[in-house]
This record gives sequence, structure tokens and C-alpha cells, in this order.
Amino acid sequence: MSLIEPTTPTYLKKPAIQLSLRGIRKRYGSIEVIAGVDLDVHDGEFLVFVGPSGCGKSTMLRMIAGLENITEGELCINGVRANEIPPADRGAAMVFQSYALYPHMTVAENMGFSLRMSGLPRPQRNDQVRRAAQVLRITELLSRYPKELSGGQRQRVAIGRAIVREPKLFLFDEPLSNLDAALRVSMRVELSRLHKELGTTMIYVTHDHIEAMTMGTRIAVFNEGRIEQIGTPLDLYNFPANIFVASFLGAPRINLINQPAFGASEQHQELWNALTREAAPHVRHAAAYVAIRPDHLGIGAIGQGIAASVVMAEHLGDSSILYLSVDGIGGLIHAKVGAGHDYLVAGKSVGLMPDNAKVLTFDAASRRII
Amino acid sequence: MRLPATFRISPRWAPYILISPFLVLFGVFSVFPLLFSFYLAFHSWEPTGGLQAMEYVGVANFAFALQDEWFWKALGNTAWLALASGLPQHLVGIPLAVFIHLSFKRLRVRDSVAGIYFLPFITSTVAITILFSSLYSTDYGLINAVLHTLFGTENIDWLGKPVYVKPTIAFIVFWRYLGFNVVLYLAALQAIPKDLYEAAEMDGAGRWHQFWCITLPSLRPMIFFGVTLSVIGGLQLFEEPFILTDKGRGGPDQAGMTSAIYLYRMAFDFNDFGGASAMSWLLFIIVALMTWLTNRAFRPHKGSV
Repeated sequence: MSLIEPTTPTYLKKPAIQLSLRGIRKRYGSIEVIAGVDLDVHDGEFLVFVGPSGCGKSTMLRMIAGLENITEGELCINGVRANEIPPADRGAAMVFQSYALYPHMTVAENMGFSLRMSGLPRPQRNDQVRRAAQVLRITELLSRYPKELSGGQRQRVAIGRAIVREPKLFLFDEPLSNLDAALRVSMRVELSRLHKELGTTMIYVTHDHIEAMTMGTRIAVFNEGRIEQIGTPLDLYNFPANIFVASFLGAPRINLINQPAFGASEQHQELWNALTREAAPHVRHAAAYVAIRPDHLGIGAIGQGIAASVVMAEHLGDSSILYLSVDGIGGLIHAKVGAGHDYLVAGKSVGLMPDNAKVLTFDAASRRII
Repeated sequence: MRLPATFRISPRWAPYILISPFLVLFGVFSVFPLLFSFYLAFHSWEPTGGLQAMEYVGVANFAFALQDEWFWKALGNTAWLALASGLPQHLVGIPLAVFIHLSFKRLRVRDSVAGIYFLPFITSTVAITILFSSLYSTDYGLINAVLHTLFGTENIDWLGKPVYVKPTIAFIVFWRYLGFNVVLYLAALQAIPKDLYEAAEMDGAGRWHQFWCITLPSLRPMIFFGVTLSVIGGLQLFEEPFILTDKGRGGPDQAGMTSAIYLYRMAFDFNDFGGASAMSWLLFIIVALMTWLTNRAFRPHKGSV
């Protein structure tokens, strides 16, 4: 079922916004949570902030919203310094992780609250609320209270509350985290369609790399208060700037092999050679790590390629995920193969045949060597 | 080492035997007086005449109470005092709790401030009232001295004039219970999710609107609880007026005589246990009625959390 009507009323015109952040830092006492961020948010894009817990992405979003002070640096909205502008005047609307619906107000009152605060008379308020409710197909819920709604319904009300304000910028703080898996998948699609229909700029925070890859026009990967890389999803997936980005995107995780030290096993050496065989001399010289994605590792019979043994196999029906151990390499190698590999079970010995064209090499400072 | 048979309690009876001390005390000091007073309400009994002096009088005690001038006066005093001391407890208590909640972010400081306000509640009522009666003393009291210095007023006869006695008592009760309500409201405030306020801030609500539209409705269950306690406590007010007024008689023109005091005097000054019992049951009906009304007013409805 579609979240929104196919033809959006013209009153939801697309207002333009351009954000620029320079040298943003955030400190709580002596702890620095955001350690220098420069970012430009383009009008109409769906920008995703992704990263592990505690990396600062939510803090970044809240600073853009105005709910947190910016310790250092400048935030400009449409060329005007906005550090001191109160949240309600920045033209942004936020959808919270817990939806933050006012429990003692009906859905209609929840959605109309911001209009009430701005002094709009009741008839016009009801009008705008009704129209937003039609867009999100929650008209029949208008007289209900939040506690009478399901999780998915509450989320649509939270989005409706944001839409009613006709903001220039939507801010989403992990809105799908509290939904079950099936609902999450359908809401992902609907939010993407909402973005296409409305065309409003959206900044979306998530820790789920799948949401990031599927929803964003651009992704910013956060780590320990810094942006590791920013670009389109496929750019980051195929050409990660460093090991962190390479490891963070993609499931199962990318396989990282370090350069064999003196005394390393024969298999380790063999794997390293296999993976760096087609690399340019300068790349091979500076390489400290090589990485290959699980779906770029072919599995053959024992004797073909590098010897490995299956520790565990997960058969999903349309594909299989294999956890392999190679003698001398700590940690398990992940491989993802298509259907028809059910015969691969724990204990079986196989041969690894990597696709050399897809190998990524990293130097000692974890940066990708181009 | 097994105890001798006489010391062992069989498992079947053990629970009852072990809770029997409480049951015995509860039965003797709570259940029996309750039932006996109901029985007494329909009798006339002067205790000095011994048990045989009890005489069945039907509803005569109730009839007497209902046409007794002092009964209604006491009821009126009680209602006035309950309102005058109860309303400020909440009208001042809620903003004060919000202020403490917002101003003191560090838990230790916040708890210490709340603790200071809570002190009067845990102090002996007798001690408080004796001290206040000396503060309110006409010629030697601190309050008159301060008022005279600041505003040049003449000494006010706080405890001697009927019109001043009631506000005096109301203030002492308010002072005593304010901290209790502040602690209740502080606890309730901490349970309100922070992101409700953030959502409101994004929606353009200022401090006042956040208080009116989020804080107050979220406090509703606690207000219900606090007001119920204030109603019940207020209607049974006894200690403060009893100690403040001379010999516990209710003060000049019985201005400070609450229903509980009249009831007490009925039993122990006028030796009419039957009349006092009847009155106490009438009071019970009134308290029950007021509690029911409070319940109706604050009952959780669809919109509450």
C-alpha cells in the first residue's frame, strides 16, 4: 500500500534551501564529539548520515536542527549564518526516532500544533492538516490518540506533523529503528517515493548501511566525529576512501587481509600474491592491506585456488554465505555465492578464487591506494 | 539440630502464625475501633458510667449532628482550611517543581534542594506548630516585628482574632506540605520524555506553551494523586489547629475548630462517645464524596499517557 497519493497537491511546492557547514566542532566539556566537519547540502538531495553508534551523526543532525549548540564553526542556511537562529525559524522539520507524538493530543492536534504556535486560525489549520493527512492517507486516524495507533501509523503521523509545516528541510533521526523488519523495508520504499514526490531536501540519520545505500542520493559516513567520505552510494561502495568506509558498507563485511609478515603461513602468502597479482607496481609496493568483497570471492573445488575450509555455511535459498578459515590468517573469510551451493557444509575443504579486478588495496595509514 | 517438638511450627500454619502479630495489632487497633465506632454511633454512651451506660438511641446522634450549629461551623472551617491550605500547595508546588527541575541539572544539587523543601514534612507537627505559635505571637513574635519594620503595621493579633486565626493555620499547613508535593511533582517531571519538548521546540512552542501544552497534561496523573491526598488530609485536619489554639478548643469564636477537633472535643471534652462516633461517620461520608468528585474531575481519559 502506498504511503502517499500518486499526485501530490500543488500547494506542497518545493522551497529551496542550501546548507553549508564549515569547521563544525561540538564539545561536551572536554569531550569532543564532532571534530571538525565541512559539508555542503545541496538543494533537493537526500543526504544520509551513516555510521556506528556514538560517531556523532545524530549530534550533527541536532546541531543543524538547532536543538544543540555549535561549539565552534559556522552553519549557514541560504548564505545566512544560522548558528543562533532558533529551531522553529530555520525552516526545518524533524522526525524523531521515537516519533515524539504528544500523547494527550489527537492526531489532528498533533499535526496542527506547529500551525497553532504560529498563530494560524483554526479553520485554516484544520484545512492544512486535512490535506497533509490525505497525502499520507491517515485521514481516518485524525481523531485518534497516539496510544491507539500502531508503530507504522505513528510514524506516518510524525511525518505528517513535519509535512504540515511545509518545511524547506526534512530531518530524520533514525525513524525506522523502532519498526519491525518487514515494515522497515516497505517504509524505506515509501520514504524514497516521498522524497521524489515532494522534492524537498532531506537529511536522514541511520546506523543501517542498507538504508543508506538504498535511500540516499549521497551518503556521508561518520566515524568518531569526522566525515570519512561523502559521495553517492555506489561511489562509496566501489571506491571507498579508506578501510573504515570499505568495512562499514556491504554485508557481509568486506574481507581484509593484511600483508603477510615474516613467518606467515604458506596459504596467507599465496592469498596475498593472488590478490595483488594484477596490481600496478607502485600499488603493490605501498600496499599494507588488501580487501575483497564476499561476492567477489569464487568458490571452487579443493586444489583450485587457495586452500580453505568451511567453518559455517548459511543457506538462504537464493544465495549462500560461507565462513571460511584459511591456515595462518586470523579471523574468518566471508564469501557470498549464488544458489546451488547447498552441498557446502561445515568442515568441507574448498579453494578460493578471488576476482582480481575487484580487489581494493590500502596503505599503512588505511587509505585506499589509487 | 532439630528443635524440640514444642518449638516447631507446622508448615501448614506457619504463614498465619508468622503474620499474626500484625493481624492482632491491626485487628485490635484498627478493625475493632472501626466497627465499635459504627456500633456506638447508634448509642448514647458516657464512658464514665461503664459499659452498662450504653443506651440504644437509633439515629438520634446523627440527627443531632445534622442540626448542630457547631457541626456545620466546624465543617465550614474545615472546607475553608482545606481549600486555603490545599490549593497553594499545588498552585505553588507545580511551578516550583518545574523551576527546580529546569534550574538544577545536576542530580545531587536538585535532590538537595528538593530535600530542603521536604524537611517540614518529616518534622514533628507539634514542634512546628509550637514554633509557629511563638513566631505569630502578638507582642513578641518575629512576624509582627518584621511586618512592623517593613511596612510600619501595628501588631496583629494573629491567634486572638477570629479573622486571622484561619489564615495562620492555613499557612502553617501549606508550609508543611509544600515540599511533599514538590517531591511528587519533581518525580513526575523526570518521567516526561525529553524529546516531547524538543519536538515542541521545533514546532515553535516557547517556554510557556511547552509548560501549558506538554508539562501540565503530562502531570495530570500526579496532580490527581496529589490533590486526592490534599483533599483527604485537608478534611481531616487536626494537629495544627489543635496545638495552635488555646487548650485545643478551636480558638476565638471557634474560628479554628475543624470537624476533627469538634469530633475530638465531643468525645473527650463533652464525654459523648456516641455523638462523636456518629459525627465521625458523617465526616467519612463527606470525605468519600469529595474523593469521588476529585476522581471524576481528574480521571484518566483517552488522551492520557
